[in-house]
Amino acid sequence: MGSPCEVLTRLNDAGAARSLVDSVAGEAWRIEDKFSRYLGGNVVDRINRSDGRPVEVDDETANLLDFAASLYGLSDGLFDITSGLLRKAWTFDGGDRVPTDDLIASILPHVGWPKVSWERPTITLQKDMQIDFGGIGKEYAVDRAAGLAAARTAAPTLLNFGGDIFALRPAGETRTWQVGIEALEGQGRQADRVIRLGQGALATSGDARRFVLHEGVRYGHILDPTTGWPIRGAPRSITVAADTCTQAGMLATLAILSGADAEKFLEAQGVRFWCQR
Amino acid sequence: MSSNNKKQITVSLATATCALLGSASPATVDAQEQNDWDFNTALLYYGESDGRVEDLSLNFLAQRNFVDDRILTLGLAVDSLTGATPIGAVPFDGPQTFTSPSGRQVRTTPANEIPLDSSFLDTRYAFNASWQQPFGRLNTISTGVSFSSEYDYTHIGANVKLSRDFNNRNSTVSLALAWSGDDMDPVGGAPTPLTAMLDVGDLSNRTGNVDKDIVDIVAGFTQVLSRNLLLQINYSYSDASGYLNDPYKIVSLVDPVSGDPLPRVQTPGANGPSHQYLFESRPDSRTKHSLYAQTKYYMGGKVLDASYRYMTDDWDIDSHTLDLRLRWPLGDRSYIEPHVRYYTQTHADFYRPGIDGSLALPAYASADYRLGEFDAITVGLKYGWETESGNEWSARIEMYMSDGSVPGNLLVGDQAGRNIYPDLDAVIAQVSYRFGL
Repeated sequence: MGSPCEVLTRLNDAGAARSLVDSVAGEAWRIEDKFSRYLGGNVVDRINRSDGRPVEVDDETANLLDFAASLYGLSDGLFDITSGLLRKAWTFDGGDRVPTDDLIASILPHVGWPKVSWERPTITLQKDMQIDFGGIGKEYAVDRAAGLAAARTAAPTLLNFGGDIFALRPAGETRTWQVGIEALEGQGRQADRVIRLGQGALATSGDARRFVLHEGVRYGHILDPTTGWPIRGAPRSITVAADTCTQAGMLATLAILSGADAEKFLEAQGVRFWCQR
Repeated sequence: MSSNNKKQITVSLATATCALLGSASPATVDAQEQNDWDFNTALLYYGESDGRVEDLSLNFLAQRNFVDDRILTLGLAVDSLTGATPIGAVPFDGPQTFTSPSGRQVRTTPANEIPLDSSFLDTRYAFNASWQQPFGRLNTISTGVSFSSEYDYTHIGANVKLSRDFNNRNSTVSLALAWSGDDMDPVGGAPTPLTAMLDVGDLSNRTGNVDKDIVDIVAGFTQVLSRNLLLQINYSYSDASGYLNDPYKIVSLVDPVSGDPLPRVQTPGANGPSHQYLFESRPDSRTKHSLYAQTKYYMGGKVLDASYRYMTDDWDIDSHTLDLRLRWPLGDRSYIEPHVRYYTQTHADFYRPGIDGSLALPAYASADYRLGEFDAITVGLKYGWETESGNEWSARIEMYMSDGSVPGNLLVGDQAGRNIYPDLDAVIAQVSYRFGL
């Protein structure tokens, strides 16, 4: 998942706690192994190396592709799982380097979900195109692992995969988890605010550390696949609360993609959210 | 994104998510930002039996929780005191007349009643502020100031406390220092100790303002003993210096044989005390040492809170306090908490209900019942309940019963069997409401 993952639970039985952690960790590793774009031999690797040939995928991958297709539509083309190629042009290390227009122009022809042929269960990418589930995977893993945890324990349990969070609350429990939202300028210890989470999900999207500062303009790491440039004017951090981590994460990402209108977008959704600009 | 799509996203997203996860949406999210401010308001009534002191107190506490465990606390209290309090004179089977503290009039106590001063009436305002914050990874510092004012008394105080966690945060040591500077401007002026209560209009033995300083040092140790048991031990040292008398308290000069107050020769044409009374005299310093231990024991939802304090001072007062509370949950949103407290103390070495008029005056003498030998029991019950929005109401009622006695060696003449020590019963009722914004 590219970040620390933790399980917090209140159990008196060490064996039950271990088995809970094992099942959550097992699911996280399974999803990592299956969908990480950095690992060879998995389904994403097969699709990305298909060189224009059709690839038949299993149900779970098909569900993720369907979901990606829906998100592409819901975001008017801004959420695009084929946009990963653009990252080759950008290095978001806090420096001031931006790619040349020529470089971006050479990549854009290989970006765009409509160029993909997706007829469940078969996907066909044009040559030199790639997909990745980086924008969905972690939230999906949290929700899947939470489903397994719920089947395994009735204890209050919180899953935290690198800031994507889900809390399970047994019937009758009234206490809440206190989740700190990291402050932008903090040293990893300071919280901007504290959310009391009884149950459900919190996901945070932002560019606290991944950005480019060019000619006085700060560019966050979320790219507009239609221009090849980062979205401008978005809050630096957006946290959204939703019933599932997937919904929370997608709403946070779609809000960032709305740029300066992020708060307006979230207000229109009627969800609880917290922005730091 | 075009604005006409925006309304539909949550529903479409929920549908897409449901298809992805292959399950119906789980329970609805419950997430709220933690309150920035917590408020605790309380209305407290304290009433002593037999028409003695009554206090109605309104307390307001505001706490601002900043990120990173930094906490600002502001407190405001307004007390309205009315009623009467024993002035120290021994009762006997005849009426007694006293000059009031202001020196402007006389008051008479009927035979066989404990003389009270009923001019006791005051409004007190108190304010305090404190700031707490971590420094370093394991240390916490807090500093505070306090101020209170009533018509004859002004207090200012400052305190600082340092604490440090160690042993995987299972242990905490702390050191606290507090200073208090109190300024008194008694009605009629502070009397010179062991001088006589004089006629109306004669304030020749009164001075103006007096003051005292108190320094407290507390060293504490807290240990988590198990997941259910917490232990705290404090040692505290307190040093008071300055004018430590109660300017309104007197001691009777008594007959060595009858034990009755000695009559006073009346000044012709003047209004004054019927008997011989001296203003009390206490040492001008007092050093206290106390040891305090508290445990909190969690047992299946119930919490037992037990504490014990031992105090000894250089006025020869030793006291023991045992306090027990049991918080017993009733369902998810309410609890009851019975409370029992037992207190006992020995008398100060200069405490005496009267001074033998045939002997030379002692250096120090006070008949203040609070410096006498007594036991007290408090029993109470608190009921608390939480509202749907997470705010908490609580109501508490307590009875305080004290029972004191005067040791035989402090009685003078024929005082045995008389009701010299003013016992005190009181009722305490409180309603409080805690809420966040």
